[in-house]
Amino acid sequence: MKRMTRGAAVVSALTLAVTMAVGVTPSHAATTLTMIAADYPGDGHTQQAQWTDFATRFHAANPDVTVNVIVKSWNDIDQYVATQIASGQTPDVVNKGDYSAPAAAGLLYPASKIVSAATLADILPTFLNNSKYNGVVYALPDLASARALFYNKDLLAKAGITKLPTSWLALTTDLGIIHRKLKGIYGYAIPLGPEEAQAEFNIWAGGNGGSYYNYATKAWVLDSPANIATATFLKSLTTKGYTEPNPDKCDRTACAQALFAAGKAVFINGSVFLGSWLTANGGSKINVGTGSFVSNTGHKPVTLGVQDYFTAYSKNGNQAAIQKWMDFIYQPANYAKFLVAAGGFIPATKSAGAKAASDPALAPFIKLLPNAVFYPGDIASWNSVKGQIQQGIGQAVTGDPAKVLGQLQTAAAAAK
Amino acid sequence: MTTVRKRYRVGALPWIGPAMAVIFLMVLYPAFEMVKTSFMSIDATGTSHGFTGLSNYRTLFRNPNLTAVLERTVIWTISIVVLTVLISLPVAQILHAKFPGRRFVRYALIVPWAASVVMTSTSWLWILNGYYGVLNRILLSLGLIQDQKQFLGSQTQSFTWLIIVAIFVSVPFTTYVVLAGLTTIGEDILEASTVDGASGWQRYKSIIFPLLRPALLIGMVINLINVFNSFPIIWVMTTGGPGYSTDTTTTLAYKISFRNADIAQSASMATINFGIILIFIVLFLKVSRWRDDS
Repeated sequence: MKRMTRGAAVVSALTLAVTMAVGVTPSHAATTLTMIAADYPGDGHTQQAQWTDFATRFHAANPDVTVNVIVKSWNDIDQYVATQIASGQTPDVVNKGDYSAPAAAGLLYPASKIVSAATLADILPTFLNNSKYNGVVYALPDLASARALFYNKDLLAKAGITKLPTSWLALTTDLGIIHRKLKGIYGYAIPLGPEEAQAEFNIWAGGNGGSYYNYATKAWVLDSPANIATATFLKSLTTKGYTEPNPDKCDRTACAQALFAAGKAVFINGSVFLGSWLTANGGSKINVGTGSFVSNTGHKPVTLGVQDYFTAYSKNGNQAAIQKWMDFIYQPANYAKFLVAAGGFIPATKSAGAKAASDPALAPFIKLLPNAVFYPGDIASWNSVKGQIQQGIGQAVTGDPAKVLGQLQTAAAAAK
Repeated sequence: MTTVRKRYRVGALPWIGPAMAVIFLMVLYPAFEMVKTSFMSIDATGTSHGFTGLSNYRTLFRNPNLTAVLERTVIWTISIVVLTVLISLPVAQILHAKFPGRRFVRYALIVPWAASVVMTSTSWLWILNGYYGVLNRILLSLGLIQDQKQFLGSQTQSFTWLIIVAIFVSVPFTTYVVLAGLTTIGEDILEASTVDGASGWQRYKSIIFPLLRPALLIGMVINLINVFNSFPIIWVMTTGGPGYSTDTTTTLAYKISFRNADIAQSASMATINFGIILIFIVLFLKVSRWRDDS
């Protein structure tokens, strides 16, 4: 008797709970969008507040659409998105650094369906050109960065070097002078650890006429003679003690940028946001100069441009809601907030770009962009090959360049 | 008789049911999914393209790093388990002896075991840091080294340090297993041997060590499984780097999946890993049954 009463109580409580849950559900059809976004700032700062603010204001304006933004660190986001898709929980919108693999797999809406024609017209054509797969634009550039040579003016003056080197030969000579005159200071911080090895090597290889992918022959060329020569050159710098020891273990943030911030490295290949990073990480006293990268004799210096993307997945069929949400993000006032939260990047829209051109921190980089080299992000296997490069290419500089690059080439050719 | 036994069996179901459900849902089903995935073609986005037979395994066996990683996994597992036992035996002996402050020392030993392995590894990562690490600071101040050392720089050095940290983490558990074994040895046997004129070493070799064997074997097998599957120490301290030079099969499986975006090939690595660990488990079951029979 007693037990039955308790059972009845449980049943009625459950019924009540179910009724209440049903009661709060709006009667008309509601859409919930899931967005997975990479967290640009890192270092304990996060974009979560910005995205929550966007989602709240968007929902207020569009009561039938709820957006759930999941913010993930750059280390975890690829893994998280792949796991979500593999387990059938495909997100609607993703904000991260690649698009070609899902485009090749037919999972994405083309860009023309993600935003209105007016928004699309506002996006810089250079970036849209880097967002194509088989000639169709499948992703929207969210922002971009470019890199330049950063140097510590005080240390350079202390070593008695008055002119920035313009060739690998001159660079080697200057690094030799620094090595002799400044004890405990590394001439060049070269981060070939997993974090950003693909960027660092691309910059050096670019200055020697090398690249990762040959668009003419449609093949990966990781072990091209130019790339092997680049790795051999970097290896010679490391062997002479002109760089930090073990560049294959040196990650960009924790090692190279930290050395530069501590005044222990003279040169570093820095990104557009390095200035603001230094201020936030104890390097505000460093007297920073910027210049263009050093290239090998007979080659032009290049800069590396990196752009990231918004992609929209078609599986859940929420095209109309996605378009509303994406248009909302690209509204100039909102887009400006997004850029501020991300921290010091180059905008991807004409309207925001016009303003950024007058920003002294961004202007030199915006000028560099038209001649920038980009990753082969439109090749479907790029994300996989990038992972291989990040893990392995540092060993080309500490080990046998030809052998390591040959192994990477074999792996890249087999990547799906 | 039979009816009683039957009722007894059905009656046990509510009690073992939850445990069985957990084992099925959390162990058997994921293992089944893992093996299934290893035979499927899955692209970098996570989309499945159906079964492909053994092609993932073929790709895996062509991986130029695989042989070195398998060899390293064997060295990793055996060296850590053996050294852990060699250290734990005397430590347990010391903790078994009565001395002032024994309780404190016993508690202190639990700390590296009770602390999260990620926490311990992170502490060591910073102790060993080549630019700001406290170990460099100490050795420099003592004049033992002239320049800062990159303890986690080269393969040999970082792998040695990984093994040291893994031993540091495994010793407390093993010591306690041995200590538990020691407390089961009756004082009377030891007294009798002393009366018979046995020396300290003879007593250890002929009485204590043989009686410790069951506890020690179980401790070793559990350690084998733990160390073989160990992920956090390597991942936190070196992420298997430089390159793949400190990877074991466990971290390699993770890298293939989440760095090289090949979930299916990673599943084939994990399946092979699972096969090896199954052998360890069979061994473990054998050991524990052998103990029941005796």
